[in-house]
Amino acid sequence: MATMDSRKSQKSSEQCPLVALVGNPNTGKSTLFNRLTGLRQHIANYPGVTVEKKSGLLRLGNQDLDLLDLPGCYNLTAVSRDERVVMDVLGGRHGLRRPDLLVFVVDASNLKRNLLLASQCAELGIPAIMALNQCDAAKRNGIQIDTALLAKQFGIPVVETVATRGRGVDDLKSAISNALSNPSFLPRIHWPECIAKGCQVLQTGVKDLGGDGVTQAEALRVLFDSDSVFTCGISDKICLKKMVDAAHQDIRGLGLSPGSAEAVLHYRHLESLLKGVVTSTGPIARSHESIDAILLHRVWGTLIFFVVMYVVFQSLYSWAGPLMDLIDTLTGMAQGFISPLLENMPVLQSLICGGIISGVGGVLVFLPQILILFFFISLLEDTGYMARAAFLVDKLFSWCGLNGRSFVPLLSSYACAIPGVMAARTLSDPKARLTTILMAPFMSCSARLPVYILLIGTFIEPRYGAFAAGWALFAMHFIGLALALPLAWLLNTFFLKIKPQPFILEMPDYRVPTLRNIFHRMWERGREFVLRAGTVILAFSIIIWCLLYFPRNPSVAEKIRTDFASNPTTSISKDALEHRIESAYIEQSYLGRFGKAVQPVFEPAGFDWKITVGVLSSFPAREVIIATMGIIYNLGADVDEGSEDLRTILQSEKWTSGPRMGQPVYTLPVVIGIMVFFALCMQCGATVAIIARELDWRWATFSFFSMTTLAWISAVVIYQIGKLF
Amino acid sequence: MSATLDSLNVGDSAEIVDISSDCTRAGRMATLGFIPGRRVTVTRLAPLGDPISVDIGGQEISLRRAEARLIQVKQA
Ligand SMILES: Nc1nc2c(ncn2[C@@H]2O[C@H](COP(=O)(O)OP(=O)(O)O)[C@@H](O)[C@H]2O)c(=O)[nH]1
Ligand SMILES: [Mg+2]
Repeated sequence: MATMDSRKSQKSSEQCPLVALVGNPNTGKSTLFNRLTGLRQHIANYPGVTVEKKSGLLRLGNQDLDLLDLPGCYNLTAVSRDERVVMDVLGGRHGLRRPDLLVFVVDASNLKRNLLLASQCAELGIPAIMALNQCDAAKRNGIQIDTALLAKQFGIPVVETVATRGRGVDDLKSAISNALSNPSFLPRIHWPECIAKGCQVLQTGVKDLGGDGVTQAEALRVLFDSDSVFTCGISDKICLKKMVDAAHQDIRGLGLSPGSAEAVLHYRHLESLLKGVVTSTGPIARSHESIDAILLHRVWGTLIFFVVMYVVFQSLYSWAGPLMDLIDTLTGMAQGFISPLLENMPVLQSLICGGIISGVGGVLVFLPQILILFFFISLLEDTGYMARAAFLVDKLFSWCGLNGRSFVPLLSSYACAIPGVMAARTLSDPKARLTTILMAPFMSCSARLPVYILLIGTFIEPRYGAFAAGWALFAMHFIGLALALPLAWLLNTFFLKIKPQPFILEMPDYRVPTLRNIFHRMWERGREFVLRAGTVILAFSIIIWCLLYFPRNPSVAEKIRTDFASNPTTSISKDALEHRIESAYIEQSYLGRFGKAVQPVFEPAGFDWKITVGVLSSFPAREVIIATMGIIYNLGADVDEGSEDLRTILQSEKWTSGPRMGQPVYTLPVVIGIMVFFALCMQCGATVAIIARELDWRWATFSFFSMTTLAWISAVVIYQIGKLF
Repeated sequence: MSATLDSLNVGDSAEIVDISSDCTRAGRMATLGFIPGRRVTVTRLAPLGDPISVDIGGQEISLRRAEARLIQVKQA
C-alpha cells in the first residue's frame, strides 16, 4: 500500500504545489503536519541520506497540495545531515523539488529565536506564511503577541494556532491556499557593505572555479559555516578558503567575530522588526522552575531518573513478554493449521511453515517492544523529561563520544536491539547517533538469555553453586557494555572523521502529553518497521530455511530407517527415529556441511562441528540455537533452555574423533567461550536489517563483521587461556 | 573581570563578551542566544558536574563545560 501511495504522490507532485513546514525543533511542526494531512502521509528517506522525509497530502477544497515536514533546525548551518537536507530542499539542490511556499512554525513563547531561521530563509526568496503555534502555552507564560502587528512588520500572513488541539488549523489551511495564489515574502536583512561584497566575490569566485552557480543565500552559508557540508561542487578548497578568510577579515573590521556575526546581525534585524510586538506581563511565570528543582536535583533527580528508567525497562522486558508469547502462539497455530493441508508437499510445507510463517512471526514478534518503547519515548519527549534525563547522565557517556540521549536507546537494547536502534533517532548529533547504533547490539538482549540459562544451568550451577551462577549471569550481561564503551571511544577517536557537534540542549517547558500524538508516533514507527525492515528480515529467514533444508536427499532417511530395521537389537520409538532423521538431514544440509567445513575456524575456540552448526544457524536469530541444538542432539526442535534431556546430553557429550577423542566437549572454557561468543556476536539478522535501514548497508556489514570477529577472538582467547590450567 | 562561562558558580550571572571557536560552532551557539551583550546566569550543574544549565533570555539551555569554556563572559 505504501509503495502505491508513494507512486501516486510522485506522479501528482509534478502538478500540485509543494508546501514545506519549517521551524525549530519542538515547535509543533509534526503535530501540525498530522493535523493537516490526517493519515495521508508517507515516510521515506531523502536520496542518499538516512534523514527521514515525511510528506503528505493536504486537501484544500478541490486542490491537492504536497506537504513536507522538514527536520527541525535552529539555523541553516549545515553541520548535520538533517540540516543539510533542509538547506538542500530550500535551495532545490540534488534534484530535490524547491517548495512553492514555506510555512514557518514558530513557538510563540520564544518568538525572536524562532524567527532567526525565518530571517535566514528570507534570503531564499520563497513565499512564506507564519503559524504562530503554542499560543496557549505563551498565554500561560504571560506573553502577549500582537499578531496583526507581527504580520504587518514581516509582510506575511500570520495565523495563531494550537496544534495539539487543532485550533487555527482551518485558518492555516485557507492562509496556505491564499498564499499560493497571492504570495508574500519575508523582509530581507540589509547586510553591511562588506558582507554583501564578500558574497558577490564568492559567487563569481565559485563560477570561475567551475562549481555550480550559487545564489546569495548559498554564498552566505559558505561564508559563515567554515565546515559546512554545503560544498557548492568545488574541489579547490584552498582557493575557496582564501576568499572566505578575506571576507572574515572584513567582518572583524566591523567589530564582529565571524562566528557569531550572522546571528548577531539577524538578531539586530529581528529586534527592530519585533518592536512592540511582544509584551510580557511582568516577569515570565516559569512553571518549570519548581519542577526542575526536584527532577534535576543531585540526589532526588538522579533517584527519579533511575526509577523512571527502571519502569521503562521493566515494561519492555516484562509487559512485552505476554504479547510476544501470544504472537508465538499464533504463529504456532497458523503452522499447525496449514501444515496438515500440505502433507503431500513436504518441501512446500516446510517452506511455508518453517520459512515464511515463522519468518513473519519473527518480524511481528518485535512489534510489542517497539510499540511499548515508542510509547515511553513519546511520553518522555512530550512531557519534556527526555531533555532533562539527557542532562542528568550526559557525563557518563560524553567521554566515549556518546551523549546523554544515548541512555534510552542503550537501555532498551538490553531488552532488544531493534527498538534500541530505532530509538537512536532521538539523537540529533549524527556522530553520537551512529556510535549509539553501533553499540546497541552489544547490550545483552533478552534473546541471549536462554543460551546463558542453558549453559549456566547445565555446567556452572551444578558444579559451582547458585551464587557463582548468579554472578556468571550478571557478568554475561555486563561484558557487552564493558567492551562497547571503550570501543565507542576508539571508534570516535581514531576512525570517525565527522566533527562532533556541541551537545547543547534546550530545556523545553513541561507539557501535558496528548494521547493522539503518542499513538501516532507508535503507529508510525510500528508500521515503518514492519514495512521496511520486516521485508528484509523475512527474506533472511527464508534464505536460512533453504540452507538448513536443502539438499535433503531422501537416501539419508532411507539409510537410517534400513539401519534400524536390519538391527532388531536396538528398539527405538517412532518419534526418536524421526528425531534422528531430522538430525541427519541437518548434518547433510548446506548449512550443516558448511558448519563441518568451517569447524576448523572454531577449532581454536574448542567448538566441535555441532556447536559450530548451532552457532552458524543462529546467525539469523540467536534464540534459534536451542532448537537447533535439540535437533542436532536427536531431541527434536521442541526443547527449551530448561530441558533436562538436553542438559544431560550436553554434559555427557564427548569428542568422537581427533586428538581429544573421548574427552568431554563442554569443558568450562568452552562453555564460557560459547557464552561470550553469544554475548558479543551479531547473531541477529533483524538487527543487521534495522541498522542497514537506519544507517546504510556499509555500516550494517561493518557492524556484523567486526562484532563477529570480536566474538571469535574472545572465544579463542578464553579457550586458549583456559587450556593452560 | 573577564572569565569563561564554565568558571562561573551556580547562581552567578555575567555578560557575554565573545565566543572563541570555529565559525560553525560559534554560529550555532550564537543562534541559540549566546551573543555578545546578553546576560547569562548559571542555574544548575548536572549531578556529575557536567553539563551545566544556564538561563539566557528566559530560556533554559544546557551545555557541556567544553563548550561553556568557549564563551567569554564579563562579570559586573
Ligand atoms: N501546549 C502546546 N503544545 C504543543 C502545541 N503544538 C505542539 N505541542 C507539543 O510540542 C511538542 C513538540 O511537538 P512536535 O510536533 O513533535 O514538534 P516538532 O519537533 O516541531 O515536530 C509535543 O509535545 C506537542 O504535544 C501547541 O500548540 N500547544
Ligand atoms: Mg517533528
